[in-house]
Amino acid sequence: MTPATVAFRGARAGEAPLTWGQRLMWRAVHLMGPSQSFLNCPWVLPVYGRPDLAAVLDGLRALIERHESLRTTFADTPGGPVQRVARDGELTVPLVDAGAERPLAAAERLAGELGRAVFAHEREWPLHATIVTRNGRPAALALAFTHLAVDYHALALLSADWRRLLRGERLAPPPWQPMDQAGLEQTEPFQARSARAIRYWRSVLEDVPLEVFDHPPGEPEEPRFIEVGMESVALAAAAARLAQRWTISTTSVLLAACATELATVSDRPRAVMQLVHSNRRDPRTQAMVGTVGQDGLFVLDLPGTDFAATCQAAHRAALTAYRNAHYDPAAMTAMRQEIGLLRGREPDLDAFVNDRRDGAGWPALPALAPGADLAPLTSQTRTYVTNAWPGVRFKVFFTVGTAPGTGELSLIIDTAYLSRDKAVSMLLDIEAMLVRGAAG
Amino acid sequence: MTDPAQVKLELADMIAAASDGMVSAADVLAARHPLSALGLTSLARIRLIDTIEDSFGVDLDLDEDLSSFEHVDALAARLADLLAAQ
Repeated sequence: MTPATVAFRGARAGEAPLTWGQRLMWRAVHLMGPSQSFLNCPWVLPVYGRPDLAAVLDGLRALIERHESLRTTFADTPGGPVQRVARDGELTVPLVDAGAERPLAAAERLAGELGRAVFAHEREWPLHATIVTRNGRPAALALAFTHLAVDYHALALLSADWRRLLRGERLAPPPWQPMDQAGLEQTEPFQARSARAIRYWRSVLEDVPLEVFDHPPGEPEEPRFIEVGMESVALAAAAARLAQRWTISTTSVLLAACATELATVSDRPRAVMQLVHSNRRDPRTQAMVGTVGQDGLFVLDLPGTDFAATCQAAHRAALTAYRNAHYDPAAMTAMRQEIGLLRGREPDLDAFVNDRRDGAGWPALPALAPGADLAPLTSQTRTYVTNAWPGVRFKVFFTVGTAPGTGELSLIIDTAYLSRDKAVSMLLDIEAMLVRGAAG
Repeated sequence: MTDPAQVKLELADMIAAASDGMVSAADVLAARHPLSALGLTSLARIRLIDTIEDSFGVDLDLDEDLSSFEHVDALAARLADLLAAQ
């Protein structure tokens, strides 16, 4: 089928320095080189109702016109990397017939394929789109974005916009765009906040061990980096119960358990982990399509007197981490290099936690009687091992998944330091820790 | 700005704004439950701290007791101390 073309014309054009979030992603994209497609964000927008092709293309046009991030290219200049917002342009959108496949399944497959391409950020729009048709009508939109343009919060915003645009609503342009954010980050209060965050990171980096593990690397498996995962209703039910008991978030409970497990495995009294989070604490960024995430640094001293105390300490440590997760990445890099000179090399902070859930709980968790024994639920727990995405290299990376009805916890490991059996047992230890805590 | 009752009202509005509609200013002022129990999340709390710092020109220290972030009266008292120290 002949590809369609979306011609767009937004409200303004401009060039600005990168926002802190973009700068971090810019660095990540260049560090990962050919593997950077790991950072791409595949996404599917279902076509609601029965609009014709013109209406769907018009919806896509409106989306690109609304959000400057979707018509931005990125370039290195002598003065540093910049974002360039174009006012107008054209996006070519191929059409693909779903054939015998369900349109949404076809769109997901196509989005995954689109996501494997490396974006040419200087000359390409930051999204690739394909329209999936069935019986000649548009049924879904398969998309892949560069992570420089969106994060998962931004994708959720786009989905919400899409639904309204297809209903024919006219949406006012969002008042806050990445170029505005870049300007704000140059102002004094933001620079002061950045300086404070960097002081906090520095205080941790001054005495954190240089390595994540004390033991030397062993013979890795082939492939070296693998992901082990667990799906556990017991994990979610226990975390939810503990969070309610202590009026803290399930994130804090899971952080406490993951950090305790890391400290145990590394045989250390302190767990230091980078905390990936969406970082949209400034209300102006809540409706902004862009990439905002920066890492926090989570420090937990163990053991607490009991798991309750550990969870409360984790809650406080998470607050401190969030608070110090908004900084100028260039200043951060300079500080880390300085620490590297002082200590002989930069400490390896290659242990991460990422809670991908948008809300705090699991909305579709099976109902349980209050106080019900959770231990029997562990018999339903499933674990699996897969290869990590090519190019992904982490020593320890915990991810809490977004499934609404079960606790998803996965762990990417470097098999030179941890065996796959060890990784599986770490996940099961975490489940056991929480179930025990919930029973207590 | 130094009127404690006025500061408390302003704080209640700031807490409500930071909470994304989870908590109303009236609930905050009624003070029957800690803010965590009312649904103030960690991120909302950080947002609140940013707002207080920007509005009052103070520096809040998270290393201190966090319980003052659970009730508007305690928060107002802590803020009054910080403002008096300036």
